[in-house]
Amino acid sequence: MSDAEPLLAVEDLRTVFHTDREEIHAVDGVSFEIRAGETVGLVGESGSGKSVTARSILGLVDSPGAIEEGSIRYRGEELTDDSWDRHRGDIAIVFQDPGSALNPVYTVGNQIREALKIHQDLRGAAARDRAVELLEDVGIPDAATRVGEYPHQLSGGMQQRAVIAMALACDPDLLVCDEPTTALDVTIQAQILDLLAELQREEDLAILFITHDMGVIEDATDRVNVIYAGEVVERAPTDALFENPQHPYTRALLRSIPGRTPPDETLPTIEGEVPTPTGPATVCRFAPRCPDAFGACVEVHPDQQDVSEGGDDRSAACLLHDDRYPNEMGTGDGTDGGGPDERSVAAAAENTNYGAVDHGGAPPETGVAGDVNGQGAAGGVDDVGDEGGGEI
Amino acid sequence: MSRLTYVAKRFLLAIPVVWLGTTMTWFIIFMGPIDPATRLLSQGQTRNPAAYRAAQEQLGLNTPPLEHYLEYMTNLLTFDLGQTFLLYQGSSVNALILDFLPRTLWLGFWSVLIAVLIGVPLGFYAGMRSNTVADYLASFGGIVWRAMPNFWLAIMLLALLGSLQGMIGVSWQQFLVPIDAISGSPDMSRIGTVDGFLAATKKVLPAAIVLGSASMGNEMRIGRTAVLEVRNEDFVDMAKAKGVSDRALVWKHVLRNALVPLVPIITSEAFLLIGGSVLVETVFGINGIGWLFYRAAIQGDLPLVGTLMYVFILMIVGINLIQDLLYTVIDPRVGLEGA
Amino acid sequence: MAGATSDRERASTVRPTGSTALVWAGAGVALFALEAGALATFLTGMVADLFAFVPPLGPAQPAVATLAEWANAAQSAAREVPTLLSRETIPNGGYWNGRRWVGTFLGLEPALAWAVRVALVYGYAFACAGWAILGYRLYRREIRPTDWSPRDDVVDRFRSHTWGKFGLLVVFMFVVMAVFAPALGPTTVEQNMRESYSHEFSYWNSDAGEVQTTLVGQANLQSQSTGTSSRVMPFTYDDYNRYHPFGTLPTGRDLFTFIATGSRISLIIGVLSVGLSALLAASLALVAAYYRGRVDLGMVLLSDAVMAMPQLLLLIMLTQVLAETWIGGIYSGAFVLALIFAGTGWTYMWRSVRGPALQVAQRQWVDAARSFGQKPRVIMRRHMLPYITGYLLIYGSMTLGGAIIAIAGLSFLGLGVSPPTPEWGRAINLGQDYVTTGSWHISLIPGLLITIVVTGFNALGDGVRDAIDPQSDSAGGAAAGRGGGA
Repeated sequence: MSDAEPLLAVEDLRTVFHTDREEIHAVDGVSFEIRAGETVGLVGESGSGKSVTARSILGLVDSPGAIEEGSIRYRGEELTDDSWDRHRGDIAIVFQDPGSALNPVYTVGNQIREALKIHQDLRGAAARDRAVELLEDVGIPDAATRVGEYPHQLSGGMQQRAVIAMALACDPDLLVCDEPTTALDVTIQAQILDLLAELQREEDLAILFITHDMGVIEDATDRVNVIYAGEVVERAPTDALFENPQHPYTRALLRSIPGRTPPDETLPTIEGEVPTPTGPATVCRFAPRCPDAFGACVEVHPDQQDVSEGGDDRSAACLLHDDRYPNEMGTGDGTDGGGPDERSVAAAAENTNYGAVDHGGAPPETGVAGDVNGQGAAGGVDDVGDEGGGEI
Repeated sequence: MSRLTYVAKRFLLAIPVVWLGTTMTWFIIFMGPIDPATRLLSQGQTRNPAAYRAAQEQLGLNTPPLEHYLEYMTNLLTFDLGQTFLLYQGSSVNALILDFLPRTLWLGFWSVLIAVLIGVPLGFYAGMRSNTVADYLASFGGIVWRAMPNFWLAIMLLALLGSLQGMIGVSWQQFLVPIDAISGSPDMSRIGTVDGFLAATKKVLPAAIVLGSASMGNEMRIGRTAVLEVRNEDFVDMAKAKGVSDRALVWKHVLRNALVPLVPIITSEAFLLIGGSVLVETVFGINGIGWLFYRAAIQGDLPLVGTLMYVFILMIVGINLIQDLLYTVIDPRVGLEGA
Repeated sequence: MAGATSDRERASTVRPTGSTALVWAGAGVALFALEAGALATFLTGMVADLFAFVPPLGPAQPAVATLAEWANAAQSAAREVPTLLSRETIPNGGYWNGRRWVGTFLGLEPALAWAVRVALVYGYAFACAGWAILGYRLYRREIRPTDWSPRDDVVDRFRSHTWGKFGLLVVFMFVVMAVFAPALGPTTVEQNMRESYSHEFSYWNSDAGEVQTTLVGQANLQSQSTGTSSRVMPFTYDDYNRYHPFGTLPTGRDLFTFIATGSRISLIIGVLSVGLSALLAASLALVAAYYRGRVDLGMVLLSDAVMAMPQLLLLIMLTQVLAETWIGGIYSGAFVLALIFAGTGWTYMWRSVRGPALQVAQRQWVDAARSFGQKPRVIMRRHMLPYITGYLLIYGSMTLGGAIIAIAGLSFLGLGVSPPTPEWGRAINLGQDYVTTGSWHISLIPGLLITIVVTGFNALGDGVRDAIDPQSDSAGGAAAGRGGGA
């Protein structure tokens, strides 16, 4: 890959929410990089910390949460010491629910012009024209009329396009998309993804694509980071990841995509739920659900292990790849390895919170006990132009 | 439906409300257990059949009920309100109303304004700094203030103003704008001039504060909640990500949206104001329409009571319509799901 | 979570072993015995009043008269039963005979004797409350077969709601004051106000150096609080060594007794009117929600029309109109006041429960009941009502606050409860000319009390609301408690 300095470098990011009852370590040591013009994916189940990561990058984390450790460097400049104000507009964000991302009492045009005024110093007629242009760029028909309409007058898909236009009005280098298509129906999803790909080409945008949908990841991203319970467990170029996943969690995720299992077999699932981290990680958080877990997994915290092959830059946080902890069970490919036993579950229960918990102060994503099937089912379906099923 | 249609629909709905309210009033007064004619006559006169018959005739009580009802309603509709029987005997009711109503309206206007100008910003302030000491103090203050009986507060305030001279040496009467007395009706005739305007405002200010105090607490609470909810919305984050300044964030995005749930509260408080004005007007000696109603009721001038009730109904329904109008201005989504 | 399974096993079929429950029941009997006499007096008194009041029924007349006689006799008998918290057991109205206090409890000075009685009253009340709470806990832990019910969550949430508990405390103390009013005041309404010239008492005349007697009425004339020079302030004795916890009124009557008795009226009217309002509002809301369509629209129109008439003005108008009818005579106009208040105030509660009622009406179990032919009235009662009772509680407690203020306002104007029945608003009226003088206590104290009590009701409503529906908007729309505007 290119050796140019990364556009965005996130290193050991830790974002903690302090509620009355507990501390939630929503992001617990996340590191990754994004280079100019590339699309990086961040994939994980509900509650894994993806949205909090996105908000942390944008500096939108408010009490009771705060970024407690780590660094976020944009073009080399540290953001976490409150320097976001200087870089507003360089990084833009698109949220999951376009209906709530648009202010209902102002017209779409007004909100686009707001960004234009701040970042491109356009006012009056020039701003109006440019707003119409932007709406056309994102594929909204009859843009000249739409620009004077209120958000509730637009359909979901068009609202999301308008939000993207609003983001573009800031002239960003990096676009963070937090589940931009989850709230839209399937046909619109495809259109939005195409739009994003097109915009990336034309504007030389870097995109951080956050989703739980493996199919979208496969189609839209160059590199992928898999996140689980606030930690990145595997990172790899997308093709390599799908071809040869190195972390048991990634393997399980891929297995649970409907298209990949022969029709007469039961769809594999991952038993259990994503835990909510209430303290720093001391063991492997995935161990209780991991088919390949062994003794050391519930005693030691796995570090990122370099599993690069060929020219790829890959890593996986798994003790199976760590030579210091030989695997007693033998095989490490995980399909039918021994399951977790009672001892490992009990031990791993410290510092993590299993089961649904009511989280008052944390962002909506955390603490919702996600069902793995929920995310698997959406992936691998034909909408992204894949053949679906079988080998890639 | 378009916003205009919405307003038109609300207007049409208002008409049966006025009709129903007035009918109920008529029923209570003329079909109730009391004979309005007897009430009008003094002790001695009730025995006098001729006087009694004359009173009946004046009230139209010797006509069959339906006819009486129709005539009554028509009179009200055309504002042909006749003359008074007991209070300010012989004066035209219209003139009486025109004299007394402006004072109540003036009082009501300032009450709502004060309640809004103090309550809403306080609520917003508490909402923006939620869960701090300032928030708790403001909220608690609002709650207690709201629980105070307004007539009691009126007495206390009046006493305070009266003893201001003794306490800090400043006489309320002479402070800033001179007024003729601490209590009493504001002089509405000179409202047009700057002096007259200021004097009338100052005269009515303590009463307005008292009358508005009940709503103030309410608006504070709701403003606070509204701000809290809006602050958590995605579009606020979106605007922040766009680089919108903190000030614009608060004023343009948060407050404007927080206003939406406040509109119905502000105008519904106006109802309480109108009713509660009786007490405040009595204590402060403001001869407004609430006070007039009270005097008429006590002295048994029931026809006047009925007419005044009609005026009140009109006022309240009018305020409702203004609220609906305001709603369409503030929230573009209105009319979507119907009222 | 880990302990849940073992609890479940334990409580499944076990009936109480008896010991705890028996102890609890025993404590209940003891508490009851202490005040059994008072309760009997009250009940028989109510029955006697009822019979005395029933309009002559023609042929049944002699029978009614005998019944009334029996009731009265029963009441006198009940009065003889000693109770703990009565003026007889702990008297405070004695006199100084030069050396010591005669006729007061344990020879203490009247202030202390009164304080002892008040402390005992409240202590007893809290003991009863504690007993009830313990009983509930016992029931929940050991007697009830189910381990958990949704109501438990509601109760638990309320238990940790400080503001709600504060409200409950205030309301409880207010209710105790109303219930035990005759026992709480340093004297009684009859002695001090109504029949003041028919009662004598002894006092120490320091000028003469001996014990003398005088009429209560005369003494009152000497104890008036009219301004700075002649006044009896709170927590002081007057010239006749009578103790006045709140001072005296301009007429010389004891303010505390006035307020304690006034709290009764306020509470009764408040509860009656809110109860009637709730009944009306709930029925109308359920009917409107069940039938929807035109029925709903009609109700909306009706409630809008009633709301278009300012409530206080309607109250004034109606009290005048109904003042001389037979209803207006019941309890000095309190009953008709409650009726009018309910008749004009139901709209607020109706508006508030309409939302939840509509939501419940859309639930599938209502459709299911409809589909197998269940009668509408039964559907409304059994399938819809339980879901709005919570909201009725919330808005009811908030309306109570408003009711108390409105009633006080009417009394202030002289329209509500007719004298000589005490009412807080009238006290404020009586004292309003003296606010800037030394007798400021007359208007201040009732006003403060009203503020505190209303705040308590609002806080209680808040607590109940948060307990029932923690996600609800804590100040949503019409839900905010009624304020000082009457």
